[in-house]
Amino acid sequence: MVLRRLLVVLLVLAACHPPARRHEASSARRIVSLLPSFTEILFDIGAGDRLVGRTTWCDYPPAALAIPSVGDGMPPNIEAVAARNPDLVVLYNSGPNVAAARQLQRIGIRTVLLDLNRLEDLAPATRALGHLTGQDDQAESLAVVLDSLAGRPPPDATTSLVFVVWDNPPIVIGRGSYLDQLARLAGARNVFHDVAQPSSQVSLETIAARDPHWIAVLSDSGVTPAFARRREWRAVRAVREGHFLVLPGSLFGRPGPRSGTAVQQLRGLLAR
Amino acid sequence: MKWVLLCAIALLALVASVILGPAAVPFGQLLHSDIVWNLRAPRAILAFLVGGSLGVAGAGLQALVRNPLADPFLLGLSGGAGLGAVLAIALHWSGPWALPLAAFVGAVVALGLVYRLGLIGGAALDPRILLLGGVAIGAFAAAITTAIVSLADAAELRNAFLWLWGGLSSASWDAVLVVALYAPLPLAVLFAASRPLDLLALGEEPAGYLGADVEAVKRRVYLAASLLTAAAVAVSGVIGFVGLVVPHVARLTWGHRHRALLPAAFIGGGALLAIADTLARTVVAPRELPVGVVTALIGVPVFALLLRRWTIA
Repeated sequence: MVLRRLLVVLLVLAACHPPARRHEASSARRIVSLLPSFTEILFDIGAGDRLVGRTTWCDYPPAALAIPSVGDGMPPNIEAVAARNPDLVVLYNSGPNVAAARQLQRIGIRTVLLDLNRLEDLAPATRALGHLTGQDDQAESLAVVLDSLAGRPPPDATTSLVFVVWDNPPIVIGRGSYLDQLARLAGARNVFHDVAQPSSQVSLETIAARDPHWIAVLSDSGVTPAFARRREWRAVRAVREGHFLVLPGSLFGRPGPRSGTAVQQLRGLLAR
Repeated sequence: MKWVLLCAIALLALVASVILGPAAVPFGQLLHSDIVWNLRAPRAILAFLVGGSLGVAGAGLQALVRNPLADPFLLGLSGGAGLGAVLAIALHWSGPWALPLAAFVGAVVALGLVYRLGLIGGAALDPRILLLGGVAIGAFAAAITTAIVSLADAAELRNAFLWLWGGLSSASWDAVLVVALYAPLPLAVLFAASRPLDLLALGEEPAGYLGADVEAVKRRVYLAASLLTAAAVAVSGVIGFVGLVVPHVARLTWGHRHRALLPAAFIGGGALLAIADTLARTVVAPRELPVGVVTALIGVPVFALLLRRWTIA
């Protein structure tokens, strides 16, 4: 935990190149957030009114939709971001984003790259954002809640599920993913917990043999996925019996201030 | 003897792909298991049919364009199929068969365009223009595909590329039935063209003197091989190397006579893909490898070995 926090601080320091240093004492006034989770955190800690740019995916809270979008952020459109004239750009720490951050620094815009893959990344990211916006106190109280969620011992699993990300080829969620944590906290065993990666291609027969009680899919449409009607998928008992959990991606697909709500709702759905 | 060995390997490959898998099915329950009956058996048979079709299509096209590099997917079909698949996902065409159908239509449209380009110099189908047209149409379709993927909102589009790398995950008895009803006609057309294809190897003019209706044969072979490949891509994506390597291996062992070469390419291609798919499902279980990776990993060394023996002899 300490190490992870140190890493975030180092990343923050590393991201602040000389041209930006003069801003460092002052809090950011014009922020572009390039990840829905960061947008949610910034609103939650009372810095939402300072957001001047977001991605097309940033749909929560509803007030976020009033902020101009700078595109889908995959990869970030540098000029669209720069045109918002930000003094801070918050990016998710990934390969293409590292390159984008470097470009933004080159034109004198302060950037920060934060890890946000799992529940335990939430509190450090929140504290970092609180520090950058001068909202340290609000950030600390949110971080404490998120830390306790991440540190909460999971209840005994009463049911099992598989998260199907894609059907052909079948790609499922493994232990490395945030969704695996969500399921565990909601009292469900991910039948692919033994896969260390966040997601992986698997054989349909493995899904059938592991016989999960639920098939969980992330979808905003709310309808049962088309593969439910494919003959080969009917070898899976949960598909035959129609045990689908269609989870809205906005709430379930990203770690954020609403992760606790997501756990609660998932628990409710599993208890049906 | 060669035939007995080949058939034994094919039979062994089919049996192995039904017995082996990431899910532990007790030996005694093999015949009663849902996993074996509804997942492994159709997948093994589909792998065999697709591999065989690709082998024959590759052998036919290599003879037609007289180019050892010809591969069933070289002539623009993978680009067309990929565009169809990505369109189906981007436009949210629903239905369990939307993706394979769209891929098939995309491949057939690409095939039509390449065919039209091949006739550009007049009534004679020019193999060189066919190759160039295939590469051009494939690149064009790939560019449109990439544009759609980068402009569309759906994050799931990246998964369309995974589908495109090939795999037999969607195998079911329905898919087996479709291929088993569809493939015999183009296969029969190709087998019936064995003798003219032998003559074509001498060059178009000599083949004409020896009594082959060169233009008709070229068209029939091109259309049959491409339609066979289009069906393969619809049910299993783009599986590389089978259509390139198997015909060469068959030629090294059975010689250049297509009457023997084409059946050998069918059985050999089927066996190779059945073995490759079994490995893809089992070696990193519970994870799975894209089958195209395995066909390349097996196919290329075997090919290199045979090539070495052949050039030394």
